[in-house]
Amino acid sequence: MMVKALTACSLALALGLAVVSLPADAQGPIRIGASLSLTGTYAKLGKNQHEGYQLCIKDVNAKGGLLGRKVDLVVYDDQSTPPTAVRLYEKLITEDKVDAVMGPYSSPVSEAAANVTEKYKKVMVAPLAATTSIFKKGRKYIFMVISPAEGYLEGLVDMGAKRGLKTIAVVNEDTLFSKAAAAGAVELAKKRGMQVVYQEAYPKGNTDFSALLTKVRAANPDILAAATYFDDAVALTRQMKELNVNPKMYGVTVGGDLPEFYDTLKQNAEFIYGATQWEHTLPYPGNQEFFDAYKKEFAHEPSYHSAAGYAGCLIYAEAVKRAKSLDADQVRDQLLKLEMKTLFGEYKVDADGFQTAHKMVTFQWQGEKKVTVWPDELAQGKPRFPTPPWTQR
Amino acid sequence: MSVALTPEMVGQVLISGVLSGALYAMVALGLALIFGVMRVINIAHGPLLMLGAYVTYFLYSRAGLNPFLTVPISMAVLFVVGLLLQRTLVFRVVNAPELSSLLLTFGISIALVNLAQLAFTSDLRAVEYITGSWIVGGLALSKPRFIAFVFATVVTALAFVFLKSTRLGKAIRATSQSREVAMVCGIDVARIHLLTFGLASALAAGGGALLAVIVAIQPEMGGVWTFKSFLVIVLGGAGNYPGALLGGLLLGLVEQLASLFLTTQLSEVVAYVLLVLVLLVRPTGLLGGRQT
Repeated sequence: MMVKALTACSLALALGLAVVSLPADAQGPIRIGASLSLTGTYAKLGKNQHEGYQLCIKDVNAKGGLLGRKVDLVVYDDQSTPPTAVRLYEKLITEDKVDAVMGPYSSPVSEAAANVTEKYKKVMVAPLAATTSIFKKGRKYIFMVISPAEGYLEGLVDMGAKRGLKTIAVVNEDTLFSKAAAAGAVELAKKRGMQVVYQEAYPKGNTDFSALLTKVRAANPDILAAATYFDDAVALTRQMKELNVNPKMYGVTVGGDLPEFYDTLKQNAEFIYGATQWEHTLPYPGNQEFFDAYKKEFAHEPSYHSAAGYAGCLIYAEAVKRAKSLDADQVRDQLLKLEMKTLFGEYKVDADGFQTAHKMVTFQWQGEKKVTVWPDELAQGKPRFPTPPWTQR
Repeated sequence: MSVALTPEMVGQVLISGVLSGALYAMVALGLALIFGVMRVINIAHGPLLMLGAYVTYFLYSRAGLNPFLTVPISMAVLFVVGLLLQRTLVFRVVNAPELSSLLLTFGISIALVNLAQLAFTSDLRAVEYITGSWIVGGLALSKPRFIAFVFATVVTALAFVFLKSTRLGKAIRATSQSREVAMVCGIDVARIHLLTFGLASALAAGGGALLAVIVAIQPEMGGVWTFKSFLVIVLGGAGNYPGALLGGLLLGLVEQLASLFLTTQLSEVVAYVLLVLVLLVRPTGLLGGRQT
């Protein structure tokens, strides 16, 4: 090491350069920190977001980095738990002294982490936080990328209402995002004149839904709307078949859009509706290129979590470019003004950093494929309606 | 927003309770054995169950074996793992203060979960072998859960026959009643400890193998089973083997009935409130501790 340094020094002198006047890269790379759910309940989704970040950083660096500096990503695993994320963001900001942070996975974790980033006045683009309340607490430095949780089940309710369905049951994991998605579904259903015949929350990590589904079956709803993550969406579906619960439409929120959902459930996933923030087939700028590059890099298809992670990082980078600085207040001003079309769709926020431009789509599993069925202007096909009873498949 | 309850719904939920209760009983019996014989609370019991589930998953997905046929294989593999753990680590804390054994098994538990994450990744795996249900008189009998129930009942019954009627089984019970007297009677206590840990790990693995067909598998699936098994053996009377059976069934039924009459969210609360009540009224558990 010593010898190398000396050689470099004498070389510099020999060339007549003053060592102190080396250009900007003497500052080293810009370090962007994040905690992500790499293990635990949200691992599958958090990992995709992580890969989205990684690909974005790679692409940003390929285009010369930010403000003339290379960008590095510093990531820790928060095990899908909010308290761990709080500790990790404290560590990133106070010990690692990163230059900027990006958001973690999920609403509950982002909600917890936001308390830390606000305290230290760090801008946090939170690309996978979909709960409205996070952005409506007077926080100044957090920015939303995806559509709010309340709208996840809108497509399901709308399609049901158009087909004359009258009753709905809503179940949800008892955490921030799922509660908001369920509340949104209930409100939308009531607006469309539907009767909510049953509603119940279940704890995170629940694996046995027999009693809950027995009650759903007794309530006999036309639609079952489930505000889920991945594990519970799988378990619910399996037990619906076991207990012969047969709504005319059954939709889930998160997890249902992953290829693994179909791999796990096989043909039992057919007819299930899911909501997604993004599909690679949607006509957004750079979408196809992102899809191809991602598949090449990670040997599997991206989910919307990957795309949102990628887009969130691009949005932050764009704001830094426009601000020509990493200063939190200057970047914040740019993020508030910014209107941007990414591979993920549109970005525009209100004065609270709350997303107002991005749109959700609803798909249905048909013949091993996700087919976008809602809204009409983006639909690739018609929903297969009604869902046949389990015994007749 | 709640629904009117019918006798049919209660029947449905009672079935679910008994089906899951049998699994609880089998897994908890393992924990009860270790506690009874060695006075060690094995925090790694759940992670051992997780390993059992992975054995079944790999035999099913790589070798195409019927997952129910893998139950004995999974149990045998974890029996050996259990022997190794006891031989290398756990024997060191058998006579140490209880905190040492708690710490050690807690450490083993963390190590097993993290090794599993490294080796198998934390992706969810599933054994999609049999789904759906039989409809019996208007009640749905889940196929995978019912078959798992039958297996759990048979394995638990065999374990009891072994404990009651074989020489080794009697030696295990004797050691659990009094280590010193057993030693004086010529029982090789260290060997009994080894065997007990192996057996207990096998029972956990059996539970894991059966669960693999029911729920998704991931490295952290075991944690909740350590707690549930602990709850079961304290309910039934720590170290009392029939108590584990009673406790298991009770927990299964209480969870399901609480989900039905109250909400799914409250079912865990109800289970732990029940635990507190039992401890207040009968501190030694429902069947009393350690009389075998």
